[in-house]
Amino acid sequence: MPLLKIDDAEFMVEKGTTVLQAALANGIEIPHYCYHPALEIVGSCRMCLVKVEGMPKLQVSCNTVVSDTPPERKIDGKYDMVVNTQDEIVQQERKNILEFLLLNHPLDCPVCDQAGECFLQDYAFRYGNAHSRFEEEKRVNPNELLGSQIVINHNRCILCSRCVRFTREISGTNELFVEERGYRSKIAALDDKPLDNQLAGNVADICPVGALLSTDYIHKNRIWNLQEQSSVCQDCSVGCNVDVFYQKDQIFRLTPRENHDVNGYFMCDIGRYGFHRFEEIERVTLPLVKSDGNFTESSWEEAIVKTAEELTNAGAKSAGVASPFHTNEANFILGRLMDGNIGTLPAVTDEEVIYPSGFRISADRSPNQRGMNDVCPSIVEDFASTIEGKDIRFIYILDDGIDRKLDDRWKELLEKVGFVVVQSYAMTDMAKYADIVLPGEAPFEREGTITNDAGRVQWLRPSITSKGEARPDWKIPMLIQSKCTGVEAMSDVSAVMNEMGKEFPIYAGITFFRLGDQGLPLNGKGEM
Amino acid sequence: MSAFKPILTEHIHKKDCHTLSFYRSVGGYTALEKVLALDPDAVIEEVKASNLRGRGGAGFPTGVKWGFIPRGSEQPKYLINNADESEPGTFKDRLLMNKTPHQMLEGMIIASYAINCQKAFIYIRGEFYKEYEVLNQIVAEAYHENLLGKGILGSDYNLDVVIHRGAGAYICGEETGLIESLEGKRGWPRIKPPFPAIEGYLKCPTVVNNVETLCNLPHIFNHGPNWFRAIGSEKGPGPKLYCVSGCVNSPGVFEEPMGVPLKELIFEHAGGIRNGNELKGVFPGGSSSAILNAEEAMGVKMDFDSLEEIKSMLGSAGIIVMDDKVDMVQACLNIARFYAHESCGQCTPCREGTTWLVKILTRMVNGDGTERDIDMIYEITDNIGGLIDFSQGSFGKTICPFGEAVAWPVRSFVEKFEDEFRSYIPQLEPVA
Repeated sequence: MPLLKIDDAEFMVEKGTTVLQAALANGIEIPHYCYHPALEIVGSCRMCLVKVEGMPKLQVSCNTVVSDTPPERKIDGKYDMVVNTQDEIVQQERKNILEFLLLNHPLDCPVCDQAGECFLQDYAFRYGNAHSRFEEEKRVNPNELLGSQIVINHNRCILCSRCVRFTREISGTNELFVEERGYRSKIAALDDKPLDNQLAGNVADICPVGALLSTDYIHKNRIWNLQEQSSVCQDCSVGCNVDVFYQKDQIFRLTPRENHDVNGYFMCDIGRYGFHRFEEIERVTLPLVKSDGNFTESSWEEAIVKTAEELTNAGAKSAGVASPFHTNEANFILGRLMDGNIGTLPAVTDEEVIYPSGFRISADRSPNQRGMNDVCPSIVEDFASTIEGKDIRFIYILDDGIDRKLDDRWKELLEKVGFVVVQSYAMTDMAKYADIVLPGEAPFEREGTITNDAGRVQWLRPSITSKGEARPDWKIPMLIQSKCTGVEAMSDVSAVMNEMGKEFPIYAGITFFRLGDQGLPLNGKGEM
Repeated sequence: MSAFKPILTEHIHKKDCHTLSFYRSVGGYTALEKVLALDPDAVIEEVKASNLRGRGGAGFPTGVKWGFIPRGSEQPKYLINNADESEPGTFKDRLLMNKTPHQMLEGMIIASYAINCQKAFIYIRGEFYKEYEVLNQIVAEAYHENLLGKGILGSDYNLDVVIHRGAGAYICGEETGLIESLEGKRGWPRIKPPFPAIEGYLKCPTVVNNVETLCNLPHIFNHGPNWFRAIGSEKGPGPKLYCVSGCVNSPGVFEEPMGVPLKELIFEHAGGIRNGNELKGVFPGGSSSAILNAEEAMGVKMDFDSLEEIKSMLGSAGIIVMDDKVDMVQACLNIARFYAHESCGQCTPCREGTTWLVKILTRMVNGDGTERDIDMIYEITDNIGGLIDFSQGSFGKTICPFGEAVAWPVRSFVEKFEDEFRSYIPQLEPVA
């Protein structure tokens, strides 16, 4: 492996690594714009120029490969390449490039959504000049809507072409291109072929400046007001890693988080904007008991006692419905409560989309089908047929929430069952059939693990707090079980994970600490 | 005038000189017959031995360029004939295509054979419609006479030639911009490495050669590399076509050996300066080369090294002559405008800097210049294209040499005619 020296640091790098990749991987900042690890290298922004010993001119570090040097030509007898990122000439060159990039920039940071996470702002502050020497008239172009909720502010654009390459290489949809030439160049889409793909939101993420913006977030907040929580998308079985940005109890945006075992650098717009559907829903925040066809609020104690009583009375004539929208822990506890007499509703599916880059949106639009089946092994797929003929007196449904539309068959079934318990965060179709509604948490309030369709267990972290007296979804069936059996309820979700690992060895040894940001593959053996 | 007898343009004044029958009557395609009997590697060695250097502008040794094509690679190899002649002041390839197209085609077939290419392209400038028609005709002739197609002249070598018209961008004359354009994409030059010899057209090994370069090949094989090396300058030998235009009495294309004195081209071939005016400045190698003042122009020889010594370049040998009636500030603005218009817009310094220069120069011409503008022009040109001095400082600030192509002429205008630029700056009248 070649030995590379960058400034005072030295490290062995894989053959074929570029100077920029090696620097970034080792925490050395080389400012850059057009380079993005997922996209083809174009070397056009000229920001990442560095001095390479033995080369007469500055080199773009994004396209300079650290190659093996024959022993007799090694620098100082050992280095394959020696790079200087701090030389005066390099620093001057950065100033020059930033001066060019800022010539026509409107300098409107106070009203720009990128401010605070803008590479033009950051680099100008760190490497640029404080004053502009440009005394001519600036180039001004009006903003345009490109499609798919993406607007472009041409005046802020630095023409790094990341967005253009994204639609060519990642989404394969080719909507974006550079229009005109030279100084008049601008990013464009054709009027009759606007930006229209379910990955479009990513172009706003990869835009290093405030040029591409999602209309969903534009002028909504300032990034420094928002808190950031790393979590997992719950809108399909791929389980893209995301960062959730929120302030108090309001989510403002989701952005993809890098995970090469799952989603790479990107996420789809279904997941990105999906959080809005939880914003204006009728939440259930207290247990509700139905009497004479109307729900009345009740205390938790009362609701737990009543549910436990009904379950005990029904005995073997009871059934549970697990949910692929819920965590492994919630499903696991429900499975135990129902003693394996458990099934599920028809899967929530939509069209599968696979992009040329391999990015996938799964047909299964629930996040945890795999995990649910793992921790409820006796689950019955066509549960309606199974219980239709049977004399079921008690049914406990872990509701899929607002993603579920109830079919007529289930409506009929639920009308027949003696006592229906629905655990839900909202007054869904399902909840309306309940005799008792137990308030659980909405998707962005949940904590636990979910397993994607490739068998990777990931840490679902809560970003906003639960509403009213809602309780964690694993806790509710546990309290009922505790009431029925007298066994003490576990107090936190980690204890449930531990218990789950004992019962299902493929989940053994999984802890939040070990899952971390990137998750763990199910190894089938529970090896640590 | 020297006793040099033209080689590439020997027959251009004769009737029907563009036809196959004419070309054959003066020994055309005999070099190809010799080449087809050689091993391709031997062909490359011959060209290396001749020290033929590219005539498109950069002057890279042709045989060395061919030698970069990987041997034994399974991928198809491509030869592209760069006929996108668009450098201001340059019109030699057009003449060669019009008058001696078969000479060029023979060169193409030789080059293709040397690099084991089965499909070659002629990327011709879109505006050259007449030449395009000539080429169509002669390529058809060549197929008919088994000079192209399968089993050329009874050998087992096959070659197809495709003619592709450019769409009017100067930058598509840069070899990687040309390749992108030929692939149907926007003509944005590619970052190197990889070089076209490794990943060119459709990511396959590709050689891009200029029309005039290719025209030299049949002669090298007819007369041998030693004959070729004996013509003109030692480090860059051979015949050369010089295009003289501007303020001269009889502009035109003149063939002389490499290293002919510029003075001889201007005052003998081109008949001297119009109206008996004084010589003021000359672009020796197209508008991308640094301008020479009269003194430099009178003393320099037209070859790669002599011009590099005085910080200019031979380039495409497009000689643009300016007399003392030319306003150098206006001329500089004209050149800057051209480059701002043609910048592809990919690299930051070139996209932003070219128009910044135009804006400053326009302001100066309009009488709103300031002292600071002169310094700014120096700084901006250095930041786009680097210093002209090859020995110090960094250049190569952009993906392709366009950055230098704008920086050098503009900077040299100001350097060499600074007084004229200063005269445009309004002087503050002292208050009495």
